[in-house]
Amino acid sequence: MNSSRNLGLVLMAPAIVLVVLFFLVPVALTAVFSFTTMSTSTGITGGAYQLAPNAIQRLRDQFGMVELAQKLGEPSFVIDERGLATLEAKGVAPGIVAELRSNHLNETFTVRRDVERMIRSLRERPSTPEVKLISAEFSRSLANARFADEAALFAAVKAIDAQLTEDEKAALAAASYSGWTWTTENFRRMVSTPDTARTLFNTLAYVSLTLVLFNTGFAMILALAVHYMPERPAGFFRILWLLPRITPPVIYVLMWKWLAWDTGFLSAVLDDFGVRPRNWMLDSAANAWVVVVFINGLVGASMGMLIFSSAIKAIPQSLFYASEVDGAYRWQQIRHIILPQLRWPILFVTCYQTLSLLTSFEYILLSTNGGPGGTTEVWALAIYHTALNNYAGNLQYGYGAAMALVLVVIGIVLSLVYLRLFNYGALVARPLIEH
Amino acid sequence: MRILLDGFTKSFGAVTVIENMKLEIKDGEMLALLGPSGCGKSTTLFAICGIHKVTGGRILFGDKDVTRIAPQERNVGVVFQSYALYPHKTVEENIAFPLQVRRLSADEISRQVNEMARLVHIEKLLGRRPAELSGGQQQRVALARALVRRPDVLLLDEPLANLDAKLRLEMRSEIRRIQLETGITAVLVTHDQVEAMSMCDRIAIMDAGRIIQIATPSEMYENPRTEFVAGFLGNPPIAFLNGVVGDGAIDISGTDIRLPKSAGALPSYGARVVVGIRPENLGPAGDVPVKGRISFVETQGRENLYDLTLPNGRVLRSIQPVRSDVGLNDEVEWFMRSDRIFVFGEDGARL
Amino acid sequence: MTGNFRSWPVVLALSLLSAPLLLMYAYLIVDTITNSPVGSFVPNEFTLEHWSFLWETPRGRPNIWRVTLNSLVFATSSCLIVLAVSSTAGYVLSRLNVPGRSFFLAGVMVLHAFPAITLIVAIFLVLQMVGLYNSLVGVILVKAAIDMPLGIWIMKGFYDTVPWEIEMAGIQDGASRFRVWHSLVLPQVRPGLFALGLFSFLLGWSEFILPQVLAPGNQVQVLSVYLASLIADDNNFDMALFKSVGLFYIAPVLILFFAFQNYLMNIYGGGTKG
Repeated sequence: MNSSRNLGLVLMAPAIVLVVLFFLVPVALTAVFSFTTMSTSTGITGGAYQLAPNAIQRLRDQFGMVELAQKLGEPSFVIDERGLATLEAKGVAPGIVAELRSNHLNETFTVRRDVERMIRSLRERPSTPEVKLISAEFSRSLANARFADEAALFAAVKAIDAQLTEDEKAALAAASYSGWTWTTENFRRMVSTPDTARTLFNTLAYVSLTLVLFNTGFAMILALAVHYMPERPAGFFRILWLLPRITPPVIYVLMWKWLAWDTGFLSAVLDDFGVRPRNWMLDSAANAWVVVVFINGLVGASMGMLIFSSAIKAIPQSLFYASEVDGAYRWQQIRHIILPQLRWPILFVTCYQTLSLLTSFEYILLSTNGGPGGTTEVWALAIYHTALNNYAGNLQYGYGAAMALVLVVIGIVLSLVYLRLFNYGALVARPLIEH
Repeated sequence: MRILLDGFTKSFGAVTVIENMKLEIKDGEMLALLGPSGCGKSTTLFAICGIHKVTGGRILFGDKDVTRIAPQERNVGVVFQSYALYPHKTVEENIAFPLQVRRLSADEISRQVNEMARLVHIEKLLGRRPAELSGGQQQRVALARALVRRPDVLLLDEPLANLDAKLRLEMRSEIRRIQLETGITAVLVTHDQVEAMSMCDRIAIMDAGRIIQIATPSEMYENPRTEFVAGFLGNPPIAFLNGVVGDGAIDISGTDIRLPKSAGALPSYGARVVVGIRPENLGPAGDVPVKGRISFVETQGRENLYDLTLPNGRVLRSIQPVRSDVGLNDEVEWFMRSDRIFVFGEDGARL
Repeated sequence: MTGNFRSWPVVLALSLLSAPLLLMYAYLIVDTITNSPVGSFVPNEFTLEHWSFLWETPRGRPNIWRVTLNSLVFATSSCLIVLAVSSTAGYVLSRLNVPGRSFFLAGVMVLHAFPAITLIVAIFLVLQMVGLYNSLVGVILVKAAIDMPLGIWIMKGFYDTVPWEIEMAGIQDGASRFRVWHSLVLPQVRPGLFALGLFSFLLGWSEFILPQVLAPGNQVQVLSVYLASLIADDNNFDMALFKSVGLFYIAPVLILFFAFQNYLMNIYGGGTKG
């Protein structure tokens, strides 16, 4: 592999495969799924045709096929050649078969009791197990029967009503289909339901509060504080404030619970001052919001702190000395020397964290889980609750995908904007070895 | 082995850096590609070794056309400015690498590595890593690695630029010694005219992607083809004066210097010319008088370098054995040797 | 820090701000080996009872060692995949003359900023369809794919610092591009590989959402999911047990972080999600 083109394509291949499988295909499928009715009850693979009670009800109410619905709904037994042939093959006494054929052919029964009485009264007096066996062979009931495809469904229904028109067949198929179907209902629902507005508001509040207060604001305070310190404490605080970021979310949130729960540290301490112990994480919407913003904010602050710190480090020392010789106070130095240097880092952190906050939900899931009463439910968490996990267990994949599609589109648009904004194109240098 | 660049053209995107260059490097000679930065000398070197693809023209090694041949198969040894030693390998492993790539036996590799180490005098360093070597030692290792697989041609890209002055002097003669001992064809890329003149059989001087002149160092010094060549060679550098062709002589504007018209074709009356005078050709002896004020004296030990400011404000340089009879701000009358003066036309070409 | 301003007020102020954080981590450790009287936070006895989960498996829960092994497999595998893919693709983007290189590079940047977690619904459904739901293989691939863009970007950065001349020398020495990459360039970026490997191992070890959604079953449960389900179980509230499992879970993270923080600091500062 002397040519860089061939080697390059080989070395790129694994990355391209992963990108296609886990980015491009899921993006496309998110869009596809968002136009389906997929849910726990429809399943996610192709559906079947089942004449379940609700299907028969649909047939009657929605399609007006009262008679067929009636027939499909009730059990029915038909003494026909098919059944007789099966009995012969199963080795039932020939006398029974012969008598059924000669005396009862084409008789129909709608009640099991009737057909069984008829069989029991045959001359050979079959035993009870035999009666059951024989009657089962003549059962032509389709209630709750499942069919893999339309052809099987129509073939079976033919025994009950042979004169179905094409329109009636289509109605039957539509009414009895149990799998998912295409729909635009998800988006209509998203626009009309009041939950959307509330979740949207929550999301905006969560993102902007966390971003302004912690990811940039507090991060800046940390970076400045660390800057005005000797190296040893500076290093200590840098590591300490990085801890929330490196701590696995489950434990990190657990520590907050220890702090905020009704048997937790905060309650115990405040108890001494006469404050009633309570679950500070969930007792009121306001407290829940404070906790959610703090939990996410401390994690996000570390990234800003590191980026701002290195930007401050990049300022020439002589600038600081010069301003101090000129008699600047500390806040003047911050205002006129440090802050102007942080414009791009602040923009970078803001852009980056906006997307990240908009779509991450694990800390909220683990702490308030959207509560109390959905007051801290943000968009990404709502997707999780809709499509992936909820108490009721009816997961609505299609609707969840439609909600996710909104974030996917925002994500793609914003990442493309950032690409322009930060001019990553400038990083593409021409390879110096041309072969 | 003889190297021939025939109609060599190189473009980067829409920008053509070198157009239709012809250059022949004779078997066993050491040729310098000399020029200011950005003149295309490194591009030429990269084309010879194959790191750059050629846009147009041919490159021949001997009779073999290597234009489309991958660098790995060209058998060219290169010493880079930064030496490019592999930091994680010892000196021995560095030198052995080209042989390992060629799947030689371990015995053979070790024999050749030791032979090469003797040639460049680094037998005692074989176990060290590059970070533990001085600049000069790294240079020797880079040479050994480039030479160990007996390349058809050795390319040296500014090999002395990273060395301090004393080492540079030492390595100059060492590289030349090794080149002569191995008899290899070599190309030295440099922007330092002293390096080019002291180390090479011939110099190809380049400017803006073109070769201006190819000649032996002394011929090029004595007989520069253009104003650019004359200005590039020589230390201290040549001084230029503007003149006008007058009646039987060249008048230097703003002075009363008159240079007799030497034999040969000069442009017609009134044409503007540029006159070049090397410092060693201005002094107490000569045939054209020059009046001026000594505006600067630089002591160089054995010799002094004087700046002579003419009445028109232009400065000439003179290098002379140390003398005590003249000093700063003295008005003096010295002389030029008119037979050693170069006259260039307005386009810079020698007349 | 120029020394012309007093630093002790800043240190003091930040210390006060940091105290709650320090307290949380201190009690994470203290509570696992002590008991405190009800309503108090001053320990009065030393005990190892909270660590009994190490040798006793509660009914209905997977064995802790099984879960730890799963976590180890999960984190290590996804880390190795990230390393393999990033060290190759990063090299291509940094050095090789392939068609569409700048397009790939822009793609990696977009993917790096793009929040892959939004794709989880589609990925969940796809894994169910292809039968990789509730398997470690599926969730490992997903985790590796999601962490890959950052890995490629980091490795490209490391490759960019390797001098071109080393590669040129290798090519002149007759080595193929593959050999140049493998035996000359790769050794130069070993610190980068180490840092990225460590980083993506920690990411894998800490990951919660992906295994929770894609592989929650007892057989394939990882520590984060195990601990979360322990906490979510309303019938057995035992903060000391949670903390002990938590400490057991976080210990490798803290050890690796403190041992190799110099390697990690750059990556954490260089912009990852969260």
